[in-house]
Amino acid sequence: MRTLRWLAIPILVVPLGWLLFTGFGRDPREVASPLIGQPAPAWELATLDGDTLSSEDLAGRPYLVNFWASWCIPSCVDEHPVLGSAWASQEGELMIVGVLYQDGADGARDFLARYGDAGYPHVLDPNGTLAVDFGVTGPPETFFVDADGIVRDRQVGPLTDALLAQRLAAVMPAAGLRR
Amino acid sequence: MNRVAVLAVVAVLAVVAVVAAVALRPAQSANLEARADALAAELRCPDCEGLSVADSPTAAAAEIRRQIEALLAAGATDDGVRAHFTARYGEWILLAPTSPLVWIVPFAVVAVGAAGLVVWVLGRRHAPAPEAAPLSEAERRRIHEEAEALDA
Repeated sequence: MRTLRWLAIPILVVPLGWLLFTGFGRDPREVASPLIGQPAPAWELATLDGDTLSSEDLAGRPYLVNFWASWCIPSCVDEHPVLGSAWASQEGELMIVGVLYQDGADGARDFLARYGDAGYPHVLDPNGTLAVDFGVTGPPETFFVDADGIVRDRQVGPLTDALLAQRLAAVMPAAGLRR
Repeated sequence: MNRVAVLAVVAVLAVVAVVAAVALRPAQSANLEARADALAAELRCPDCEGLSVADSPTAAAAEIRRQIEALLAAGATDDGVRAHFTARYGEWILLAPTSPLVWIVPFAVVAVGAAGLVVWVLGRRHAPAPEAAPLSEAERRRIHEEAEALDA
């Protein structure tokens, strides 16, 4: 009975401590997206260049939908060259679309002039409808869509080269070899 | 004569229908607005810390509010609106969890703890006083010696 009483303390304290320790290290926004395994939302939006781009234009190729903003500093600045080099190295086999999250064309153009424009298109989402359709909680956030138009993965927060290579494998298995 | 009467009834009914439709329309829209308010208070603003869509001034909250109103106007049920947003954000978007376990478990834990405490306290009260262990021969001898030393 006495042994049981002494055992009760670690039995109660250890799981509680573990829960608090791991819980504080987690980003509460990083919940699994219900879109994974589902068809990506359809959209048709104006690009920064004044053209129109739609999800149908991307059909048949894997693509990334990257929600970003010129005010998202430093995360979007840190992530910017990662996406630029992915765009350059995938030679058109991977499409990247930047979606402006609560940001206007002027801010985006200034950002691209300052930090470099890799050449992939950026679309304006003035009411944030596409951000809600993708369940975005804040920039940067990136969705990985395969050639069949199915969402395969999501990155909350800035992408690094390593994270991008890891997540790209979900939509284009050969990508890891080419990088 | 009958034909005139039928026409008159039809005309009266038509007028009543039009008046009723006009009179009810504001009531319906007020009802929709109340439902939209209630749903906005249930949904988490995605880019705030712990605020509902109803309480948040952000663009994302405004877009969610606009979508709630559009869905309700299109005839969606309250559950349909909730499902629309959980399909995008997951259950995270609902401020109150839907699983009944979340509400039941804390009360169950407190009840079990209280029951355990009662059992323990009652058990202590009714337990017989512990009997002293019999003295060993060495202890007996020592007591005897010390008592004699005190007397001396």
